[in-house]
Amino acid sequence: MMEKEIIDEIKKKFGVEGFMQRERRVIVKIAPDKLVELCKFIKDLGFEHLSSLSITDWPKRGIYEHTYHVWSYKDKILITIKTEINGDKPEIDSVYPVWGESAQIHEREMHELFGVEYKGNPDLSPLFLEGWHEKPPFRKDFDWREYVRKNFYDKENDRERVYFEEV
Amino acid sequence: MKPESVGKNEYELFFGPAHPGSGNFSVRLKIDGERVVSARADPGYLHRGFEKLMEYRLPIQNAVLSDRICVLEALAWNLIHAEAVEELIGVEVPERAKYIRVIMAELSRIQSHLIWYGVLSIGTGFDTGFKLAFGYRDFILDLFELITGGRVYPAGYICPGGVRRDLPDSAKERIPKVLDKIEKMIDFVKAENPANIGRLRDVGVLKLEDAIRLGATGPVIRASGLRTDVRKDEPYEVYDRFDFEVPVRKEGDAYARFQICLEEMEQSVKIIHQALKGLPDGDFIDKRFSKLKLNMRMPEGEVYVRNEVARGEAGVYMVSDGGTKPYRVKIRGPSFLHLIPVLEFLLRDVQIADVPAIYWSLNGCPADMDR
Amino acid sequence: MAKESPQKRTMKKLIKAIWVFNWFNSCGFTELVPVVGSRWDMERFGMIVVGSPRHADVLFIAGYQTLKSIKRAQRIYEQMPEPRVVIALGSCTMTGGMYWDSYNTIKRLEDYLPVTMYIPGCPPRPEAVFEACAKIFKHVEEME
Repeated sequence: MMEKEIIDEIKKKFGVEGFMQRERRVIVKIAPDKLVELCKFIKDLGFEHLSSLSITDWPKRGIYEHTYHVWSYKDKILITIKTEINGDKPEIDSVYPVWGESAQIHEREMHELFGVEYKGNPDLSPLFLEGWHEKPPFRKDFDWREYVRKNFYDKENDRERVYFEEV
Repeated sequence: MKPESVGKNEYELFFGPAHPGSGNFSVRLKIDGERVVSARADPGYLHRGFEKLMEYRLPIQNAVLSDRICVLEALAWNLIHAEAVEELIGVEVPERAKYIRVIMAELSRIQSHLIWYGVLSIGTGFDTGFKLAFGYRDFILDLFELITGGRVYPAGYICPGGVRRDLPDSAKERIPKVLDKIEKMIDFVKAENPANIGRLRDVGVLKLEDAIRLGATGPVIRASGLRTDVRKDEPYEVYDRFDFEVPVRKEGDAYARFQICLEEMEQSVKIIHQALKGLPDGDFIDKRFSKLKLNMRMPEGEVYVRNEVARGEAGVYMVSDGGTKPYRVKIRGPSFLHLIPVLEFLLRDVQIADVPAIYWSLNGCPADMDR
Repeated sequence: MAKESPQKRTMKKLIKAIWVFNWFNSCGFTELVPVVGSRWDMERFGMIVVGSPRHADVLFIAGYQTLKSIKRAQRIYEQMPEPRVVIALGSCTMTGGMYWDSYNTIKRLEDYLPVTMYIPGCPPRPEAVFEACAKIFKHVEEME
């Protein structure tokens, strides 16, 4: 199937208009309550490889934006699905019923680094960090250079004094 | 005595990072006698938070940082980061630079497969293979030092806009000599070795439906029967001008992956010969990038680039909000999927002695898993 | 000839052919495994890689260390018998290197382990590793 046909099929069933960014790239925006339905629909069209799942944090608009990149081995096209959720209480349905363990492990990583709840994911235990009690590290309001300056460097040391001066 | 009655004797074994049979990655195994009942992966020994480190730096600084995403194949990750920045800015790379990039990426693939071959031999007890592989790999590292200046890390040789320096003339004569030596080594190794076959055949079998659901890519899924390769499905740089094959096997066991490793090295040698013959003259970097400009703005937008690195499919998702630094970078590494879901799935009901063979045959790089 | 302390006498006898335990994190792996390989052979100096820290004299710490892996390195250091030497390889191990603003890597190795020798580089060449080992022998000679 070509990119135009996929855009038309999605428009017929869900009413949202996707657009073609370039050859082999289609982008679709949808509301979070219809997300799992759309994912099941495109999996039946042949898009069976979830390439990656990512979160972008826009503090000025107060949302977390999810991006799902799905590839079809048959048609050789990549669909990007984007949805937005509220930044104050971030939770969303998991896509584990659709794509299996490859979705589950990506969501586990995003839960640890951004603090988003995934309803329906069987295992959200910590992955990379051991004994981490501060806020999720990849959010935009957690400044790494301040944190490192406070915890790792000390002013008395000659070599490290330079990191306390403003550049 | 029936084996089912010994269920209460399970204990937990920590196959950890200091073991000579594993890398910087540990696995907790639940053992019952000599059999592994289940496994749980324990990653995070190398986590630096790469994605957010890139948000504090300019693209030209990120080009140097991107070598270290996966330390075993530095030039391939250099290339994918440069492609993402170029697509976001909207820059067309000159032809000569594209050919040089393909040559460096394929040399990096051969070097990475030699490491794979060497450590797989340690895992199965074939010590000669380890010495052979690391010995021949040094010829390629000398080539890297001649062309880019560093044996292991090329210090951002493939930067956005092209390549930093031109290919020297002596490199054009030395590369074919090194490739002849590598071809002779592959012929020698192809002779069937009964020790390897005994330890690798029918070990760690992965069927195709499981492989797609668990997210395997690259040589792991090609050994299970699916003919897919990003260089043929979505050609980037100038791969559509070269004539090469994609080796596929149906059995899905560790021996099939080992054979694919050797055949991919042969195909890479073929690609490099074709690239050297067709190398055109011209610029090696786009004019806008050859003088260092520190405040070049990237237009708003987002882009997702896929490449085929030696371990599988790599992806970089970059978002920009109109400033000079990227707003969000997400790096999709192949080893993240191979070492956590696929390994936990394969390590059920196997012997303890098979654990290193299965782990090394998946060719995972812990640095690219943890980032 | 000045009287040698008993500690120096023991060290001179024991540190003749040193046995090494590797604790390589990522970057150390690529450049220092060839030290064991056939081009830069370390067995001709009498150095071999041992599998257990209880047999080792020297602990090589290579590559950047994170909070999770430095705890394991401390456990390994405690299991080594006296006399023992710690060598730090690479600039990211010693000073934080290019990950100076990362929340998970350590910035000063001497807060966690007593280090005898530093080898700078990113990553250091195999010849640098041999020079460091030659300096250990000289260090024992000049010790009191």
